[in-house]
Amino acid sequence: MTKSMIKLDSVWKEYTLGDGSIFEALKNVSVEIRRGEMLGIVGTSGSGKSTLMHLVGLLDKPSRGTILVNDQDVSKLSDDEASTLRSEFVGFVFQQFNLIPKLTVLENVMLPTVYARKKLAFGPEKRALELIARFGLSGKEDSTPNKLSGGQQQRVAIARALIMSPQLILADEPTGNLDSKTGNEILDLFSELNKKDGVTLAIVTHEETVAKRTSRRIHIHDGAVIKGK
Amino acid sequence: MRNINSIYYLLRSAFSDFKRDKVRTALTSLGIMVGVLSVVMLIAIGLGLKNYISKQFETLGANLILVLPGSGISGGGFGGGLVGGAEFDNRDAENLRRIEGIEYVVSVYFKSSLIETTDKEKTGYVMGVNDEYFGLMNTDLLIGELFSKTEIGNRAKVAVIGNVLAGELFETAEDAIGKSVRISGVRLKIIGVVKKSGDREQDRAVILPYTTTYGSINPKKTFWAIYLGVPNKDEVTRVTNEAREMLLKRYKKDAFSVTEQAEVLSTINQIFGVINLVLIAIGSISLLVGGIGIMNIMYATVTERTREIGIRRAIGARKSDISLQFLTESVVLSALGGIAGLLLAAGITLIVRIWFPVALNLTAVLIAFGVSSVIGVFFGVAPARKAANLSPIDAIRYE
Repeated sequence: MTKSMIKLDSVWKEYTLGDGSIFEALKNVSVEIRRGEMLGIVGTSGSGKSTLMHLVGLLDKPSRGTILVNDQDVSKLSDDEASTLRSEFVGFVFQQFNLIPKLTVLENVMLPTVYARKKLAFGPEKRALELIARFGLSGKEDSTPNKLSGGQQQRVAIARALIMSPQLILADEPTGNLDSKTGNEILDLFSELNKKDGVTLAIVTHEETVAKRTSRRIHIHDGAVIKGK
Repeated sequence: MRNINSIYYLLRSAFSDFKRDKVRTALTSLGIMVGVLSVVMLIAIGLGLKNYISKQFETLGANLILVLPGSGISGGGFGGGLVGGAEFDNRDAENLRRIEGIEYVVSVYFKSSLIETTDKEKTGYVMGVNDEYFGLMNTDLLIGELFSKTEIGNRAKVAVIGNVLAGELFETAEDAIGKSVRISGVRLKIIGVVKKSGDREQDRAVILPYTTTYGSINPKKTFWAIYLGVPNKDEVTRVTNEAREMLLKRYKKDAFSVTEQAEVLSTINQIFGVINLVLIAIGSISLLVGGIGIMNIMYATVTERTREIGIRRAIGARKSDISLQFLTESVVLSALGGIAGLLLAAGITLIVRIWFPVALNLTAVLIAFGVSSVIGVFFGVAPARKAANLSPIDAIRYE
């Protein structure tokens, strides 16, 4: 197995706008995410960094170019195949936390196991409780997300992203809705996961302070990679 | 292992959503409840009516032939019916009696009339018949005696009255014996009270010798109908045909009808089959409206939960998982309404039964429940598809 976990080769992403004109969100992007690294995808708002994350996270397909995940071309996977890969391979952490408000903390953390297609090697509830305890959320299992602080909600989201033991965590502005102290704690958590647990991380951010915490950075501007690859 | 495909998870998730919004759930299910209630009740009433009327006919002897004016119940349609046509008289009765195989010939004078006692008056029926009537109709005497050929012969002013009428005019059946009633100025002495039968008209009738009606009650000396009784079942059809031939010598084809009772019953069954279908169709309109209500709410739910759908898709849910989730909700909503409607229908049926023989049948119940579930699927598919086909990226960004 190569060192490269994900490789984008000459990837274009185009959207047809309402007036019929074509907007190029990504232009000829070639980047890779290496196994075990903590990558920063850095760019301003509208630079195309979120589009890049959606492609890497198999939420969207490129207009042209190839995306290899563990040397397998995923740009032509069916919707169901992409869903399965999302379920097993990648965990998402969002700026808005994106917990389901009506579910409890425990149910939110366990939710990915509901959609698992493979037989799980662990008990979902046991593992969820372990993650909740590890992130200092013991006692909040039966609370709904609206009873938690922003930092706590983001930790629930990270627990949810980890429950299927994915190879890659994709975090889109994970500290964007948090104060700097809480944001730092979340970044500490990411560092710990990367170093101790060997989880590969890709963090999308526009903040230099966040970018500095990563081990390697790719800078994106107007849909093109201007630094790093 | 827990899996989205397990019905348990889907149902649990649907019910926990409903629990969060009880009012909406109740109101949405209400549409289906009313639909199921109306379908089941309308079928119950239709079946009840059918049973009621069939029973009235079954109390008549089995091998009965009805000679009626007009084109009758069968054949020319319902509307043309029993009104108009031939007015039978005693000559017809005597002619029919000559047909081989007939045991009973009963000419029936029948009219709704005011019935007076010294201190009361009630509306009931007057039936002028001969003594064979009681044998043909299996009429049992409750108290007193029936009239015989002697009373027919001397036009005796006597009457046998129905059980219900006896109760209305006098305290008890015993009290009625020996008292008199007046009909169209004719005073009749009550000599007997007959037992309650399935025949509502007979229960409220004054039954008197047909000869006694000649005069102020029946000045034209005509009859409404002639009933023929044939002891041998195998001869019913032959006798029917011969009776028709005989009457054709006096009346036009359309002026009368000769009908076997079995034929009447099958006609009634046919008519009520159609009535039931019409009732089901009417009830189905409300089911349809209920279904549209569910679809409406499911569309609203999909919009409200767009972000949730996006999150679920991002963490690995397939399109089919999402559509199954919403489909389950619409089916459960609809089935809940169906169950509530059935329970309510069962309750109402139990109460109404006291007055009217409504009948809940298993087929109606199963159909109503099945249809309400199918409606859940049918009206849930479009919203579920909409949910499944949302783009995960757009959905997750939805505010």
